[in-house]
Amino acid sequence: MRIDKTHKPWLVISVALLVLGLILYIVYAVGAPGGPRGGSALGLTFGIIGYAMMLYAGALGARKKVPTWRLGKTKTWMRGHLWLGLISLPIILFHAGFSWRGPLTAIMMWLFFIVIISGVLGAAIQHFVPSMMTTRVPMETIYEEIPHVRKQLCDEADQLVVAVCGPLKGETPAEAEEVTGSDQPVAAATALLVDIEQEDRMRFREIYLTKVRPYLEDPEKPNAELASPRRSAEVFDSLRRLLVPQVRGVLDDLENICEEEHQLSRQIRIYRWLHGWLLVHVPLSIALLVLGGVHAVIALRY
Amino acid sequence: MAEVHLTIDGMPVTVPEGTTVFDAARMNGIPIPTLCHQQNETPAGVCRVCVVDVGGRVLAASCVRPAENNMKVSTNSDKVIGARRTLVEMLMADHPVPCARQKHSGDCELETLARVEGITQSRFPRRLSPRGQDNSSLVIAVDHEACILCDRCIRGCDEIRHNDVLGRRGKGFMAGIAFDHNQPMGNSNCVSCGECMVSCPTGALTNKSVVKTVLPGEPVDVEDLLQLTYFQKVSGTFLELNKNAIVRRHFKKGEIVCREGEYGSTAFYIVEGQAQVYLATPMAHVKTQGGASGFLSNLTSRLVGRQQARREEEGDRRSIPIDAPVDLPYDNPVATLGPGDLFGEMTCMSLYPRSATVRAATDCVMLEMLRNVLDIIQRNKTLKAQLDANYKKRALDDHLRSVPMFSTLSPEFIDVLRHKVELVRYGKGDVICRQGDIADSFYLVRMGFVKVSEPHPGGELVLAYLGRGGYFGEIGLLGEGRRTATCTALDHVELVRIHAEEFQQMVEQFPEVRRNLEHLAYERTEQNRQRLATATSIPLDSFLAQGLMEAQSLLVMDLERCTRCDQCVRACADAHDGVTRLVREGQRFDKFLVATSCRHCRDPLCMVGCPVGSIRRRNSLEVIIEDWCIGCGMCARNCPYGNINMHPFEVMEQDPAAPARQIAVTKHKATSCDLCTEHAEPTCVYACPHDAAHRVEPNEFFRWLKEPSQTEARH
Repeated sequence: MRIDKTHKPWLVISVALLVLGLILYIVYAVGAPGGPRGGSALGLTFGIIGYAMMLYAGALGARKKVPTWRLGKTKTWMRGHLWLGLISLPIILFHAGFSWRGPLTAIMMWLFFIVIISGVLGAAIQHFVPSMMTTRVPMETIYEEIPHVRKQLCDEADQLVVAVCGPLKGETPAEAEEVTGSDQPVAAATALLVDIEQEDRMRFREIYLTKVRPYLEDPEKPNAELASPRRSAEVFDSLRRLLVPQVRGVLDDLENICEEEHQLSRQIRIYRWLHGWLLVHVPLSIALLVLGGVHAVIALRY
Repeated sequence: MAEVHLTIDGMPVTVPEGTTVFDAARMNGIPIPTLCHQQNETPAGVCRVCVVDVGGRVLAASCVRPAENNMKVSTNSDKVIGARRTLVEMLMADHPVPCARQKHSGDCELETLARVEGITQSRFPRRLSPRGQDNSSLVIAVDHEACILCDRCIRGCDEIRHNDVLGRRGKGFMAGIAFDHNQPMGNSNCVSCGECMVSCPTGALTNKSVVKTVLPGEPVDVEDLLQLTYFQKVSGTFLELNKNAIVRRHFKKGEIVCREGEYGSTAFYIVEGQAQVYLATPMAHVKTQGGASGFLSNLTSRLVGRQQARREEEGDRRSIPIDAPVDLPYDNPVATLGPGDLFGEMTCMSLYPRSATVRAATDCVMLEMLRNVLDIIQRNKTLKAQLDANYKKRALDDHLRSVPMFSTLSPEFIDVLRHKVELVRYGKGDVICRQGDIADSFYLVRMGFVKVSEPHPGGELVLAYLGRGGYFGEIGLLGEGRRTATCTALDHVELVRIHAEEFQQMVEQFPEVRRNLEHLAYERTEQNRQRLATATSIPLDSFLAQGLMEAQSLLVMDLERCTRCDQCVRACADAHDGVTRLVREGQRFDKFLVATSCRHCRDPLCMVGCPVGSIRRRNSLEVIIEDWCIGCGMCARNCPYGNINMHPFEVMEQDPAAPARQIAVTKHKATSCDLCTEHAEPTCVYACPHDAAHRVEPNEFFRWLKEPSQTEARH
């Protein structure tokens, strides 16, 4: 959700509500003999309004579960979630008189702070990070499709190398030589598109199997040499110098594949930023709403 | 009969008067090489390879020179051999080596002769300007490069088969063979008898081998084929070459001949028995609505017919067009075919999916054929006349009445039309009429697809695709008498042509038809004008190149707002029984993503090839898929943007193994984004929590790109 001038009406209403609440609270706090209390009429009113706002904010999750229901546009719910959720904190503080005495209320307030902070952080992330994703991941794909795309990239790289070196079956160059046959230019089933010496072919194959393929097989492995775009560029530059000119086209393609892998890794990282905060925000919000309900029942009944 | 006495290569020879020198030599075992001469054709003496020395001033062509008394003929003197070698060298200079015939069967007569003469390389330079190939015929390939202008094909066509299609074109360097008035062979009146190909000494006319697989069935002997009326005028050699492309099939009563939606490449001709043609797919469309448990349940999609849930602008057709000589009634889509009926032509000619299921109603004998044989019999005048008569007798009525505006025509008038209308065929790419031509006919599409387009500064602007049941030509006939657009056959097209005179008679006799046609002509003209105006107002080439201006409604995601939560996709799937009609991937323009979801294109390629014509546009130009969709998936494959989905449903069907039992089978119906028309806003847009998804017109989107402030205004 981008917070721009279209949020102005919500901002105005929220500020107005807040100011109104603050005035009422000040009048009430100054006039109350024992200080402000949640159980007083106004304190209770603040509590009911605050909890209603929290429930409304929490209802966004439920609203999203039934996207086909015509209960108002989801973007309106989202804006309400943001602004009413935000001002529910001061309203609840007015309800509590800025003090929390029992352990339940203390826990709830701590939870509330965490929920609000995580929410504000999330709103900030969702304001800024989508642009970053757009500019930094031009080859973005659907998040759930990433493993499939990665497999395709790995297969594509294999095919490119097979066209130069023949089958990749052997683990070591010697075994590969056995597979391709040192005298035979190619295994019968494979048409080599690049005509180079057998020795160069074996060297290229070895470099691919030891440097590039491990990265393509597990791009998220920590400390993978090609995982860093800068290091990857250096490696490919050195490979261009090391290997015969005929394979440069294939090297360019492999470098492009690695670049796409970098972008996919970046997409995963940004995606986690975009949605990772929800892992804190959502369960704690639910816990808060449940505890709020418990608090209301206990406070009113006992 | 008088005899003449002459000497050939020193051998005294006596032959009847009038015998040519060539025949005199041949009768006495003296071979004279030739290229242009065949025993069953009148000698022409055009190749001059058969030259002999008869003691005259110049060498004589033996195939046309009559033998004379006391003539001394030399067939192998140095002078004759030298002249023959030179001639062969000159012919070889232009000849592609090896030519198609030499490559396939190794019996190109010119190349064989060159080999005998020891000619491996010509001294003469090659011709620089190519003469070209003609691949328009389905059965015969024409390579003008390999033609030696011997005229054997022309004499075969004219003298032997009396078809008079082949002739000469041009003079001297520009000379060549031509079909009709220099038409491509496939568009000419050639009846595909194959005589020209059999006569050709080189690879200029060769059989197109389309038979890669063996058809299941009983092989048919050439002699048997020649007994059938429509093969009687076809060359036996040619049939021999194509005999693997036709088989005889026997079907027991109840046996399925072909199923709707299946891909095939053959047509069937019923020789004996009767067959039932029907649609097994339910006559229904996909309707999404609340589930049985009410408001709190997820939406479900069901198959409903137009009787239960009529959609806005849903077709009112009473019959369904199929790839057979009959249409199927909407209410009970079953019909019967009998001896002499041909079905599966569109599948065979244009490789479209089968449009209906055919089951043997009695024990049947059918000929199943590939398209080279179908082309031969379609070109056969006798069979063509028979098929056309069948059509006029049985289907013209339904066909005309299937067009709502002709439903009021009286049976008497249709009887009049029956004798006046003409069935015309066009090959892929043929122009049926050009913009600006005099409007002389009105056309109903009987088979295939017609593209209606207008020239445009940036290229061609497609106005419509018309499939079976479509019609065109009324604007010119009712208006200024000139064609307002160009109509082109996209594949094998058959049209019912109603000449201007009958058309005028029709509109005068039936004022309602006239009113309807005038209204339609006005609507079409107006739509075309609007489309042209839209296309000319957008200058951005890349925008046009991506086909975005062809769209009417784009689902655009603002990537700076979109948090990739996929709420839009989930909402779409929820709204359509779990089958999403959008994918959050596509082309990017600046910060916008044009998502994969139906664009309701102005040039709806999805509509080309629907074997039953069930996908069409509403007047608002949105796509609607009619109830008789057979789920073949042709539209989904044809959509360049992957925006049509196949929605699976389980339906109960009779078990072919045990007819008394019902089994569940999965059928598909094509669906595309319907913009959730029952709501004010599409569900994907409504469900986006971040205000990132929007449905916009291309012009508006273009303004967003040019002026980003417009985007803010929208939000």
